[in-house]
Amino acid sequence: MTLYHFVGLGMVLFAIGATGFFIRNNAVVLLLCIEIMLNAVNLIFASFARFLYGTEGQIFIFIIMTIAAAEAAVGLGIIIALYRSHKTLDMSLIKDLKG
Amino acid sequence: METLIFWMLSAFAVAAALAVVFFKRAVNGVMSLLALMLALAGLYVLMGAQLVAFFQVIVYVGAVLVLFAFVIMLLNLKESVQPLISLADVKAATPAVLFAVGIVVLAWLALQDAAFSKAPSSLLPAPGIRQIALDLFTRHLLVFELTSVILFVAAVAAIVISRKEKNPS
Repeated sequence: MTLYHFVGLGMVLFAIGATGFFIRNNAVVLLLCIEIMLNAVNLIFASFARFLYGTEGQIFIFIIMTIAAAEAAVGLGIIIALYRSHKTLDMSLIKDLKG
Repeated sequence: METLIFWMLSAFAVAAALAVVFFKRAVNGVMSLLALMLALAGLYVLMGAQLVAFFQVIVYVGAVLVLFAFVIMLLNLKESVQPLISLADVKAATPAVLFAVGIVVLAWLALQDAAFSKAPSSLLPAPGIRQIALDLFTRHLLVFELTSVILFVAAVAAIVISRKEKNPS
């Protein structure tokens, strides 16, 4: 195991999350894909912290986890409001902002 | 042995991430994400970051995913009649995905050049919890306090956004 194994795994997970974010329509699944991307970044932070012997990487992870929890709370609140006003969570059907 | 565990956990994590993207129902996606989080916690233990693994399980599995499952049950979504992935979406996403892959390749090439590319194969022990706590509560105290403000604002915002609008009287 080297740094490259962990960073490569993190990059693969980030690519999967980003691809899912672009091709799926369900709003809940979009938030799940954002969580995948955040976790991929966390993994890369942890691997750099491990292989460069720093504590900053792990501290960054705690901050990112806090932000992820806040983002999930606000995002799910938006989803509830969206479902109430549109009766659907299909993002291809919600185009109020489309000019 | 550690290498074997690493490959098993990473294969599991990639499979779980693909399952999140390709499961049709959101509930299955949440359960797959749970598997991904647990695999990542295992990887954190493997690289000696036990504290991060604990927080991964407590914060993500215990709080965030439960919130997701709660909202899905609350909304009681019907089966979507839309296809899982439409061709138009794939076409629209292609440039963005190609761009993302390009960025990953560039980052990978940059890593090959960097000074730490010759990381030692025999690792020193990882920094312990005591050292991390000392660093967090001295040098990074301001950031730590600011995250609590962010959490408070986000909690209030979630309540304000998701409550029913009152009729103007």
